[in-house]
Amino acid sequence: MNSFEYVSPRTVDGAISRVTDRGRFFAGGIDILGEMKEYIASPQVLVSVKELPATHEIEPGKSWTIGANVTISEIEQHAGLRRTFPGLQQAAAEVGSPQIRNVATVGGNLAQHSRCWYYRHRDIQCLKRGGSTCYAREGDNRYHSLFTGNPCISPVVSNLAIALAALDAKVIVRRGKDEAALTIPDLYAKAWDNPVVHHSLGPTDLILRVQIPDEGRASAYRQISEKASFDWALVSCAAAAKVDGNKLRQVRVVLGAVAPVPYQVAAAHEYLEGRELTDEVAAQASEIMLKDALALDYNGYKVPIARALIHRTLQQLVG
Amino acid sequence: MPSWPAKPTVVGASTTRVDATAAVTGAAKYSSDIQTGGWLYGMIFRSRWPAAHVTKVNVDKARQVPGIKAAVVEREGERTVRFYGEELAAVAGVSKQACLDALRAISVEATPLPFVVKEEVAKKPDAPRVWPDAPNLAEPNVKEQGDVDKAFAEAAAVVEGFFTTAVQIHHPLEPHGNTVSVTNDGVTCWASTQGIFSVREGLASYLDVSQEKVRVITEHMGGGFGAKFGPGSEGGLAARLSQAAGAPVKLMLTRFDQALAVGNRPSSFQRIRLGAGADGKLVAFDMDAFGTAGFGAGAASAGGGGGAGFPAPYIYTVPNIRVKQASVAINAGQGRAFRAPGHPVASFGMESILDELAVKLKMDPVEIRLKNDPSEVRRREYEIGADRFGWKRKYKPPGSTTGPVKVGVGCGGATWGGGGRGSQAEAQINPDGSLEIRCGTQDLGTGTHTVVAVVAAEVFGLKPGQITVKIGDTRFPPSGASGGSTTAASVCPAIFDACTNALQRLQEAAGVADARGANWTSACKKLGVNPLTVHGEWREGLSSRGAGGVQFAEVEVDTETGFVKVRKILCVQDCGLVVNKLTCETQIQGGIIMGLGYALYEERVMDSTTGFVLNPNFETYKLPGFADVPDIEVILMEMPERGVIGVGEPCTIPTASAIANAVANALGVRVCSLPVTPARVLAALGKAVKPGGSV
Repeated sequence: MNSFEYVSPRTVDGAISRVTDRGRFFAGGIDILGEMKEYIASPQVLVSVKELPATHEIEPGKSWTIGANVTISEIEQHAGLRRTFPGLQQAAAEVGSPQIRNVATVGGNLAQHSRCWYYRHRDIQCLKRGGSTCYAREGDNRYHSLFTGNPCISPVVSNLAIALAALDAKVIVRRGKDEAALTIPDLYAKAWDNPVVHHSLGPTDLILRVQIPDEGRASAYRQISEKASFDWALVSCAAAAKVDGNKLRQVRVVLGAVAPVPYQVAAAHEYLEGRELTDEVAAQASEIMLKDALALDYNGYKVPIARALIHRTLQQLVG
Repeated sequence: MPSWPAKPTVVGASTTRVDATAAVTGAAKYSSDIQTGGWLYGMIFRSRWPAAHVTKVNVDKARQVPGIKAAVVEREGERTVRFYGEELAAVAGVSKQACLDALRAISVEATPLPFVVKEEVAKKPDAPRVWPDAPNLAEPNVKEQGDVDKAFAEAAAVVEGFFTTAVQIHHPLEPHGNTVSVTNDGVTCWASTQGIFSVREGLASYLDVSQEKVRVITEHMGGGFGAKFGPGSEGGLAARLSQAAGAPVKLMLTRFDQALAVGNRPSSFQRIRLGAGADGKLVAFDMDAFGTAGFGAGAASAGGGGGAGFPAPYIYTVPNIRVKQASVAINAGQGRAFRAPGHPVASFGMESILDELAVKLKMDPVEIRLKNDPSEVRRREYEIGADRFGWKRKYKPPGSTTGPVKVGVGCGGATWGGGGRGSQAEAQINPDGSLEIRCGTQDLGTGTHTVVAVVAAEVFGLKPGQITVKIGDTRFPPSGASGGSTTAASVCPAIFDACTNALQRLQEAAGVADARGANWTSACKKLGVNPLTVHGEWREGLSSRGAGGVQFAEVEVDTETGFVKVRKILCVQDCGLVVNKLTCETQIQGGIIMGLGYALYEERVMDSTTGFVLNPNFETYKLPGFADVPDIEVILMEMPERGVIGVGEPCTIPTASAIANAVANALGVRVCSLPVTPARVLAALGKAVKPGGSV
C-alpha cells in the first residue's frame, strides 16, 4: 500500500475535519485495508473513528440504538438483540469468520465496498473504479446482480443492511454539521443508478449509529453460500412482520446479493399485508419480487435460490 | 531378504508426532520462518499481460527506491510472455513495503499479443496461438484395442456422457519460496521443498557452481502436493538477488502469486461412451478427451507428471477400447504434478459413467464394481466398506427421497503405485545412550520425523521420544524427493537397515547379546569415548508398491437452493504395514478433505476479456473449512506382509467421484462437472433461469 497518515480524533467534528475527500474513515479495517493493499484505494489519511464517544454501545428501548463501532460479534452474542431482532442476530452470525466478526463493525459493514472480483482485482480498472467498462457484464457474472439501474452489476453484500432494511432501521449519519436519519433504502439509493458509488454516503459522511424500532415484529434472515461457513451469500433474504393470529402485518421482505441495494418490492409488501402465509401466498410474493429479475450469462441460478429463501424466511416468521 | 519383526510393538501403534509440541508452540521453524542474519525480503515482478512481446524491462528506478538492495531482470533481451503472472524481474530490500514500492517503479515496454484462456476456444483452429509454430490443440494420443464398434453394436446397454473437471490450483498453506544465501564460500538454501537434493541440483546448475558448494535445508515445511520439487523460478531469482545484494534473500511467494505461477492440476473435458452386456460386464469404452496444462501444453511440456493426460478407462479392464486424448495450450499458468496426477480426473469421468450404466441396467453400483474391478484387494474393500457404511440399507434408486432435501450415496475406487526406492540413512549411537538418526529426506507435514523415530525405536527397543531425528539437510545421507507416495516406503527400510546394522555393531563392540531396551544404556556406556556411526540403505523386501482404496459418500442436496452437504465419507484403504496408525489415518483424512474441495469448491476462474485469474485469493478460490468437513471414517486394510506402502495419494483420488455419484443418486439427474456448485445443481435440475430469461 501507499504510505498514509493515521489520526485518531476524539470528536466527530475532529474526525470529519480530518477526513476531507482525500482520506477514509477507519474502524475495523476489514474493508479499507484490503482495498489499500491492492492499491484500489490510496487514502492520504486514515481517520480512526474507534475513539469517538457514544459509538460503542447497544442500548435497548422503544427504539434500540446500536453504535457504529459495535462489532459484529457483539451483535451476534447480545442476548437482548437476539430476543428482539432475531433476524439481525442471524445476519450477524453469517458475516465472515469469528476472527472477522470480532473486528468488523456495524458502520464498516454498512459502508463496505463491492466484492466484485473485477472491482477487487489489482490490475483491472473497471467502471466502478473509474474505467469505462463493467467487465462482469460480458464476463463471469456468477456472483452478480439480477436487478440494477446502472451499467455496473456488482451487488450489495452487507448482511446487516438486508436485516436492518427488513426492520425499518434508521442509520444516523453525520453529514456536515447536521445529523441525518437515513432509511436503509436512502443509504443505498445512489448505488442503484450510479455505477461508481457503493452507497449514498459522501466522503465526509460518517455513520454514527443505527436505530431500530421495537415494534414487536418477528424477524428472520437466511442466506445460501457455496460453503457452509465463511463465505459470501449467493443470495440472502431477511423478512420481518407482525404475526397477528395467522395474518402477517407490516411485512418487509428484502433480498441481498442480487442488486446494488437491499432489494425490496413495495407491491410484494402490499400483497402480503394482512394475508395468512401459505405456500401459495409465499410463491406469489416471490413471483412479484422476482418479476423484474434479469438473468445474465452465469447468474440465473440465483432466481430459484431467491424464491426458496423468500419462502423459507417468511415461513420462519410464523414459526 | 530382511523382514519386519513379526510382532512389532512400536510400529503399527498410534504414536503422537514427535514434533507436535514444537509445531503447535511455534518452536518448529518452517522454511518461511527462517530469518538468517542480515536477510532481505525478495519479491517478484510479474507480467500484467496474458500474452505480449516484451522488448525491455527497466529496473533502474526500482534500485533507487529507499531500502532496495538489488533488482534483477529475469531474462535479458526480448522475450514473449505467455501468461498473466509470468516472472519478469525481482527485487530485494529491507522491508516488504520497500519491495512493493520497488515493484511499482519497474517499467516494461511491451506489445500486447492476442491471447486465449478458455480451453473450448483455444482448441479452435482460428484461435490465437499460444506458441506461434504449433496449433494450441496438440496431436492426440490414441490408444485402441479390440473391435470397439462391434462391441458397442452388440452391447446390451450403452451410456454416453460429457464430463468436465476444473483446473485445481496448488495452494499449500506455506507458499512456495526459499531463503537463499550466496557467498564465496558456497550457497545455503532454506527451501520449502519436497526434494532437498533436487533443489540442490537445480540451484547448482542455475548458478553454475559445484553441487558440494550448495547446502539445502528443510527442517519443517508446510505442504507441497507435487508442486515443490525444484528451486523454481523463485529460487533462482532469490539466488541472483542474494548474489547482487551480498546478503541472504528470503523470497516467499504471496497467495496471489500462488494462484498464477506455481502449477495446477490440469482441466479435463471427457466425452465417454461405455457399453456392457446384460450381466453388467463392461465390453466397450470410447473416450475423446482434452484438457489444458496451461501455456506449456502446446509445445514444450512443463513435464513431471503435470500434463493433461490421464489413465483411461482408469482402474477397469475393458476388452474393447478406443481412447483419444489431447492437450490444449492456453495463456495461463502451467500444470504441475498434483497429488495423484491424472487420477482424480480419470476417476471422475469413469466412475460417473459407470454409475450411469448401473442405473440403466438397474444394477447396484457396488455390484457393478464387484463385477468389473480386476483388483482383488479393492473388491474386498468394497465388501468391507459397503458393510460398514450400510450401503444395502442406504442405496435407493436415484431421486427417490421425498421432499426438497434429497439424500444420496455413491462410491468409487482408486489405484496408486507408490513403493520405495533408494534411500540412505545413518544411525549414530553415543556412549551416553543418546542416539541420532540422520537421513536426507524431508517432512512435508505428513509425519516423516515421527515414522523415522518409530522405526528406530522398534529396532532398539526404545520409545520414539528417545530418538533424535535429523532430516532435511543435504549433508545427511541422500534420500529421494517426496513424491508419488514414496517417502515412507523409501525411508523406513533405510532407517530399519541402519538401525539393525547399528544394533549389531553395538552388541559386538559392547560384547552383549542383546543391547535393546533395558540393556541399552549399559551397552552404550561400553563404547568408551567415540560414538558409533553406522550406515544403512533401502533394501528390497521391506516395502512394496501398489495401493488400492475405495470410498463411499453420503450427501444431502437441497433441490431448491442447490446446496450440497456431505454427511459422511468412509474410506477403506490398503496400506501394507502401517508404521504409525495415527499419522496414516490423518493423512488419509487430509486427502479426503482435499478431494472434497475438488468435488465441491475448487476451480481456477479465467477471465476471457482480461486473461487474468479472477479468483487469486481464498475469498473466491474456495477451500473446505471445518464446517464443510463431514464425518470421515477410515478403515485401514492392513497387510503387514507387504511391507511399507505410501497412502498419501490414493486417498484423495475417489472422493470427488463418490460425492458426485452420491449427488446424482440423490437428485436423479447428474451434475457432470466439477466442482458441483449450487449453480450447477440448479442448472442440472432445470431450475436456473436462462441468460436474458425472465421469471
